Amino acid sequence: MLNLHSLSFVSAANKRLLLSFVYAALILFLSSCSANIPVQRENDLTAETMRATNYSLVFVIHGDGDYFYHDADGNRYKADEEALTKAKKIAQQNPGAEVFIFHSKPARRFMFLFPLKDGEFYYYRNGQLIANESYWRDQELSNFDIQVELYRRFSSQSRNEKVNMFFYFGHEIPEFGGEGYDASYPDRSFTVRDLAVGLKSLTRDFTRFDLMILSTCYGGTPYTIGKLGLFAQYIIASPENLHLSYFDLYLLEMLDINLLERDVYAFAKKFAKQTFNRLTMDVETAVSVAVYDVDRVKDYLNSVQMIYDNSLIPLRENKMSYLTIVEHCDCADITAYKLPMINNGVEVYYRPARFGRLKYKQNHSGWECWKNIEQ
Amino acid sequence: MKTRIIFWSILLAFVLTPLTIAGGKSDLQKYFNDAAKKVKAAENAAEKRDILNESFQSMSNALNQVQNSGMISKDESNGIDLFKAALQEKQDELAGSNGYERVADTQLNAFSNYVVQDMEQASITISLVALVLIIILLVLIL
Repeated sequence: MLNLHSLSFVSAANKRLLLSFVYAALILFLSSCSANIPVQRENDLTAETMRATNYSLVFVIHGDGDYFYHDADGNRYKADEEALTKAKKIAQQNPGAEVFIFHSKPARRFMFLFPLKDGEFYYYRNGQLIANESYWRDQELSNFDIQVELYRRFSSQSRNEKVNMFFYFGHEIPEFGGEGYDASYPDRSFTVRDLAVGLKSLTRDFTRFDLMILSTCYGGTPYTIGKLGLFAQYIIASPENLHLSYFDLYLLEMLDINLLERDVYAFAKKFAKQTFNRLTMDVETAVSVAVYDVDRVKDYLNSVQMIYDNSLIPLRENKMSYLTIVEHCDCADITAYKLPMINNGVEVYYRPARFGRLKYKQNHSGWECWKNIEQ
Repeated sequence: MKTRIIFWSILLAFVLTPLTIAGGKSDLQKYFNDAAKKVKAAENAAEKRDILNESFQSMSNALNQVQNSGMISKDESNGIDLFKAALQEKQDELAGSNGYERVADTQLNAFSNYVVQDMEQASITISLVALVLIIILLVLIL
């Protein structure tokens, strides 16, 4: 431990000042150590705020990594902060919804010494912010225990049939390895399997989400859709790279109008089309947005699962250098995956990159695989 | 004296570690974004091409210096090779060499945006980027 009295270069007056700072820091540090204390509670759960909800939306926004991007004018944005702002707007503009937002933040320290909480939770109901809590993220396993606990604590138990949606914003979720996903915790791993474990707990009371939106790069692989499809009826994902400005969320701002018929599949297709239109206006790299009808893609997934899982084995063994031996590609470019039912249950919106070697590629199957790099 | 050194070492470690994590790839993005801004501000196509070429070349030189420094592992060197290959492809497309169709003069602003966006999406490790930045700084200073 640091002995303040031994700091001979600090004058007596400065020592007092320094000690004051240390005491203040200790008080703040100790308060930040307390688990699950609401730091802000704008409204209590009263009869007014306990009105029935028709929609339940869960946002998981990962922000502990390289999440900066630039628009065409060169302005810099932070992807997770942008996604958070949009999620809050959606929460405020939907009086018939309850919205859970989990924001993973980089590790920070108060006065360079005391760790601060690295997760923030928001719960909105009927357009009102009900709770806003800081929390500690899982430090070793990414099992979503804390998020699940908060979800269960606040989730409304209204008896009406709700439309449940799940959103994930972040970098490509690794299918193996997963170390380094969190910049602040390089040894901690996060994989598709970890997310699936969390989803299993979240869906305990209603079997599966009606719609899952994976706002990540390379979300449309047979493995990812297969694993996460256990917990959703429809999934929207990008089989290729996705620009960090993410999917367009505008349609979610007025769910009572845009989901009037409660036709989730029609909504998903409209959402995908709209986000595709916006991305193709702003982005020069490839744009791919696919809607997966999970029940209808099962046959295809069952047929290719073994081949795909086998293709991951050498990658698992070369976690550090796999990108030197393989690269992502459209599954349709590999004969073994090009089965008659490859398009069943997948609605794909695709435009190739405007430059690069694939600029004339006309379409995409909606499924992304791995292929060996030609030497 | 020893206490003072320990105190400042601890303080610097706490200050610099988060800064390094926060920097990394975003500084690399800034490098290409600055180049794209210059491209858009340039008056003619020849000037735009020169700016793009120079940005690719300076980065490639920096990457070579990092690889030759003997301070990185084989895995990190492999990562640099991938990054260099991606840069080379863009350089080839700009020039219309190695089977690439030459980027049209009217498309150079869009191409500069493509470079920025492609780099933002690329998988590059922080340690690699940190090393690259060190070398870039060295190149700028020398």
